[in-house]
Amino acid sequence: MQILRFLLLTLFPFAVFGQLPVPTNGSPLPKNNSFVLTEVRILVSPTKVIENGDIIVRDGKIVEVGKSVSIPNDLPIINGNGKVVVPAFIELNTSVGLPEIKGSGWDPSPQYESKKKGPYYWNESIHPEIDPTDLYNIDASAIDELNKMGFGLAVTHQNDGIAQGTGTLVTLGKTDPRLQIVQPNTAAFFSFRKGASNQSYPSSQMGSIALLRQALYDAQWHQQYGKTPNYSLDALNKQVALPSIFSTTDVYELLRVRAIGKEFNRTFTIVGTGHEYELGNVFDTLNQPLIIPIAFPEAYDLKDPFIARQIPLSDLKHWELAPTNPAFLAKSKVPFVITTQGNKTAADFWKNMHKALAHGWSVEDALRALTTTPAEMLGIQKEFGSIETDKWASFNVFDSDPFLQDAKLVETYVKGERTIVVDLPDADLRGKYSLNIDGTKYFLDITGTAQRPEGKVKLVKSVNDPVTGTQKMDTLSADAYVNYTDNDIVLQFNLKEGTTSNHFSLKGIVNTRVWIFEGTGTNTSGNWIKWSAIRNKSNEEQAEIKPVWKPLENVNTQPLYPNMAYGYAERPVSNTIIFENVTVWTNEAEGIISNATVITENGKIKSIIRGSSSYTVPAGAKVINAEGKHLTAGIIDEHSHIAISKGVNEGGQAISCEVRIGDVVTADDINVYRQLSGGVTAAQLLHGSANPVGGQSALIKLKWGHLPQDYLIKNAPKFVKFALGENVKQANWGDFNTTRFPQTRMGVEQVYIDGFSRALAYHEALTNPAKGTTPPARDLELDALYEIVKGERKITCHSYIQSEINMLMHVADSFGFTVNTFTHILEGYKVADKMKAHGAGASTFSDWWAYKYEVKDAVPFNASLMHQMGIVVAINSDDAEMGRRLNQEAAKVIKYGGISEEEAWKMVTLNPAKLLHLDDRMGSVKEGKDADLVLWTTNPLSVEAKVLYTLVDGEILFDRTADFEAQKAMEAERARIIAKMADAGKGGEPTKPFVKKRRGSYHCNTVGEEASTEANEH
Amino acid sequence: MKQAIIVFIFGVIFSGMNVTWAQKAKSILLENATVHVGNGQVFEQGLVGIKDNKIVIVRNALAYTYKKEEWDTIIDLSGQHLYPGFISPNTTLGLTEIEAVRASNDFNEVGIFNPHVRALIAYNCESDILSTVRTNGVLLTQTTPRGGIISGASSVMQTACWNWEDGVVREDDGIHLNWPASLQGGGWWAEPSPKKRNEKYAEEKQSIYSFFEQAKTFNSEKAGTVDIRFAAMKACFNGTKRLYIHADEVQQLLDVLDFVAHFEIQFPVIVGGYDSYMITEKLKEKKIPVMLPRLHSLPEMDGDAVDLVYQLPYLLQAGGVKFCLQNEGDMEAMNARNIPFLAGTAKAYGLSEEEAVRCITLSAAEILGIEKSVGSIEEGKVATLFVSKGNALDMRTNQASVIMIDGEFLPTNNFQSDLYYKYKKKYGLTE
Repeated sequence: MQILRFLLLTLFPFAVFGQLPVPTNGSPLPKNNSFVLTEVRILVSPTKVIENGDIIVRDGKIVEVGKSVSIPNDLPIINGNGKVVVPAFIELNTSVGLPEIKGSGWDPSPQYESKKKGPYYWNESIHPEIDPTDLYNIDASAIDELNKMGFGLAVTHQNDGIAQGTGTLVTLGKTDPRLQIVQPNTAAFFSFRKGASNQSYPSSQMGSIALLRQALYDAQWHQQYGKTPNYSLDALNKQVALPSIFSTTDVYELLRVRAIGKEFNRTFTIVGTGHEYELGNVFDTLNQPLIIPIAFPEAYDLKDPFIARQIPLSDLKHWELAPTNPAFLAKSKVPFVITTQGNKTAADFWKNMHKALAHGWSVEDALRALTTTPAEMLGIQKEFGSIETDKWASFNVFDSDPFLQDAKLVETYVKGERTIVVDLPDADLRGKYSLNIDGTKYFLDITGTAQRPEGKVKLVKSVNDPVTGTQKMDTLSADAYVNYTDNDIVLQFNLKEGTTSNHFSLKGIVNTRVWIFEGTGTNTSGNWIKWSAIRNKSNEEQAEIKPVWKPLENVNTQPLYPNMAYGYAERPVSNTIIFENVTVWTNEAEGIISNATVITENGKIKSIIRGSSSYTVPAGAKVINAEGKHLTAGIIDEHSHIAISKGVNEGGQAISCEVRIGDVVTADDINVYRQLSGGVTAAQLLHGSANPVGGQSALIKLKWGHLPQDYLIKNAPKFVKFALGENVKQANWGDFNTTRFPQTRMGVEQVYIDGFSRALAYHEALTNPAKGTTPPARDLELDALYEIVKGERKITCHSYIQSEINMLMHVADSFGFTVNTFTHILEGYKVADKMKAHGAGASTFSDWWAYKYEVKDAVPFNASLMHQMGIVVAINSDDAEMGRRLNQEAAKVIKYGGISEEEAWKMVTLNPAKLLHLDDRMGSVKEGKDADLVLWTTNPLSVEAKVLYTLVDGEILFDRTADFEAQKAMEAERARIIAKMADAGKGGEPTKPFVKKRRGSYHCNTVGEEASTEANEH
Repeated sequence: MKQAIIVFIFGVIFSGMNVTWAQKAKSILLENATVHVGNGQVFEQGLVGIKDNKIVIVRNALAYTYKKEEWDTIIDLSGQHLYPGFISPNTTLGLTEIEAVRASNDFNEVGIFNPHVRALIAYNCESDILSTVRTNGVLLTQTTPRGGIISGASSVMQTACWNWEDGVVREDDGIHLNWPASLQGGGWWAEPSPKKRNEKYAEEKQSIYSFFEQAKTFNSEKAGTVDIRFAAMKACFNGTKRLYIHADEVQQLLDVLDFVAHFEIQFPVIVGGYDSYMITEKLKEKKIPVMLPRLHSLPEMDGDAVDLVYQLPYLLQAGGVKFCLQNEGDMEAMNARNIPFLAGTAKAYGLSEEEAVRCITLSAAEILGIEKSVGSIEEGKVATLFVSKGNALDMRTNQASVIMIDGEFLPTNNFQSDLYYKYKKKYGLTE
């Protein structure tokens, strides 16, 4: 691999640069890529600036740079006249010059197989073989805009699909596109987005992740054993040696890419979102290269308070903090580069650049992020990235320093080829002149800047005073338009006297040796007249370089964790907490004990002291007098879909146990906080019910304020979602979804038998291969199926009708494992005896029914009857709203079937812990168990019960008093930022109309990442 | 309903409680229950007498003596709670059976302005869902159409009946107007697209104004004029029908107030009114009642108090606005049986127990315009009432022992409890 890399990075470029003669039509045009650029300010590199220096360029390459270099006499001289030379910036994340990818449009009929011909990967969103080099064309307007932003090089790629293909390094010139190609296959590109592919799989982000992992494993196998060609896998293998760039759309995707990188031992450069500061100190240890945008959000137009209240705090916070992101990353020592993404115009780009600099970023770091860092990432630092000897003369010339001022791009140099963008005057006209027009003497004062002069004309005249009748001197004056190009001057003004116009349009030539203008023009009557001017006094004031921005003081850099409503100012930590005089629902043999004291320490329940026994209060402990209050174990929601990002169902195939909810857990779902307010401390995040074998579950604690990986319960048992019935046979999916196997309950059984049989055969081939055979490729789906059939991965199966429940138990019995949990299980009461015999548990709704045909026999007595039959029964939510009042749902089991309060309470605490095999650490109030505790105002099963505190691992993550304070603080914070936005709007910053992002909530049958019209089913 | 039902329920009543029973119950006395009158009053030990289908006596049992022989039936309800039948307004209950089965849905007619479409026509008296709602104490419902800008007319119905004529309490009680959204979001519920200003808000509002202008000036007396839409609207202007305006957001609510004033609507009711707590002074001044959104729903905005919706009854009560509860939303038909627990939640978040009872009984009846005959246990009203073994607003203790609609007893079992006992018997489980 190292050799391949060496070849790619060193030999390849020369093969392109060393150009062979090409027959031309007529004599070839002479090259103009050798010259001397003099008297310029040179931003040589991030750490070096040369004032008033010269650059010698021969055949497009820099030969010498410095102050007072000896100027060779065989080269043309270009006088820079104090302009500023900036090395060409390098854009790594663009599709400039490439055709837009268009899908074939939405088709209501699902497409399960690839339509691509030829030896390519089976999934159309994996197309690493795409090399867009021969599609590159000149997009003049896009290039102009990039040039004005300072960019001279770009790696352009087609931003489509998951394995997108490679990018081509091009120079951003506008001549023949063939001449712009510097290096094909410069970097490989990836994303989690399926793109234009119409194939049903994948339909979720976790599906994209699984698919990419599978493809990478397939490539590894192909490398070793592949006998038939596969262009896609060949390309993936070649790309291992290339810089790999992974684009993301939210801040947590960054962590998902990291996980894939770790699994395959490679480093992806991640295209971030500008929200990186929200992750806080995570970057201190990551050493994660990034490509980030500097497209900061515009202020909202919030004059209407009814509109203002709709803007979530997260958006307000991001508006304020986004400009601190580059400075934050620089301070965190993250190697990063800047992409133009999100800035449509150069004006926007520089405005945002100045904003970032004002918010604490340094020019040096900015220049680094635009030049040397991207050059190093691509391995082209010997040729590009700074203005130094032996590098290509790729730089841009501005009329002033673009990092400090609103500079104008004047010239671009692409490998020494000069393009004049604006022809600026090379003399400074400013000064005081005597102006003679047709014999009348005027005064002309030219001010402004050298590049943009402004004029003022005065005439002193004797007039008749109408009051006194005497003559007096009066001064008339007018602003004059001054334009100076190609040594010609144009002056135009109107000296008004009362209502009388005196209009002059003058044109003349400029003699800069003696500072005389001379020419002709027209007066207000349209007659041609002669004019001249002579400078009496030159401009004395030194052109002052005033930055258009200044460093802001007291910049707020503090995000919330998470950066939204009810986020914490700091990541929560566990405390020692003492609940005194409390009634404890232990869920243990002691039952409900009153007047007890419970102490938590280091995230665990340290001791439970009954009665008035004394104890010592550890230092720093928080003592809560809980007299009259009830303390319980935290509620565990066996069936939840909160905190899941970009799709809860991978419905593209009948079996999708290769996908993992754990890959897409998100830490910014407000429903996590809301559920904490209802006493929920842990949950099984389940895949949806779109297919017989769904994805792997994530067992989480509701660690609001932490990162997604901290939500995942360490060493948790492995679980997978299964589903039966109407959803898996697509009964309610409309008339087009009638082709995926299975479409009946009959087919569902065979999906299982087929899957398990294949898993066993696969495992046999892997561990005990027949002689002379190649081992099978690692198959993520079969790996998981094998775990299931061996009982190592437990099943939670969505189910309603007794026939299918019975079927799955038979299938499991025949393969020798047990179905751990039936969820929903609304007809469980009909087969409770069989479930008991099989050893299955049940997790059900308290009273839902009537939402589809298969639940017409659902009865609210179900939980009670299964419990009476000796089955471990839990009550779950499957719904973010119900999830926060599972205590009430448990209470319904008392109403419907009359079980005891203690047993009902266990149905939302200990029983789900048992079903999830977490009862050794959760589910009851017992010394040594996790300090996942809830303090209630009264009996938790009462309709009047409210949560006072919710603890997870000893951290107080909900506190009713603090919650009330937080609401007030949030209002104040909103008001502060809204006022600041209003000021920004007044200060001329553009504002945008309000658009409020919303988050949906998932249920079992939610299909896809994006809009669809599926009904809400469970 | 006729005698047949009474005969049918004998067994259940007897098995459940200690009842003195006469074969032909013409007069019934319910004694010693805690009587939650519905108007805020409570008799710790009450006495409620029913003759034919009317309540004739409501007294404190301790301060009233009566002659046993005057009553056919005397039921001792010591330790139990007696409530007026709970009311579930604004629901498709009775118009749908299985949401996912299109053939069973009868609540959304084609068209934008459908004031002439009447919900009671599709009301399914034999709905299995009705039987499960009744047994939690929900005895009256406002069966309500959905869709379009004007969905049609609702009717107040009993949750048990032989047919819609038999079951109707108030026919075509009002027209339902869905106020256009001032903020708009597309997408779907799992992946909503961003919310933004509805650019067509003014236009959509205008379409309502012009429809109402035309309806108001429409003169059906004029020879040769036929317009059943406008004809159906007439009752909104003369006050014989209510106008239920479905709106949540504060901008909408303020515009609704203007609209109501402009057309001099006699009985406007706001349905939903998520933001109504922000304008209680105006609502109080204009005496416009609100049917609050389903209390068991998530806050609209991330930054809203996590329990904002739970607090709405208290906030309106404190602001002096008349309100009641309803349950529109996901699975609203089957969920109608949870109305009492919404009231329980209202109690947990600030209402007194009797205020909580009132917002699913008398207040709802007043808002629906049926308070003269039902909604409370008062002399002269129809005997539509419910006895629970414990507090009916708490899930644990809501246990029906007597269900009576229009003076007739109804079974306290339903097909769900029947299935339960059937399988219990199969497994050999006993009580």
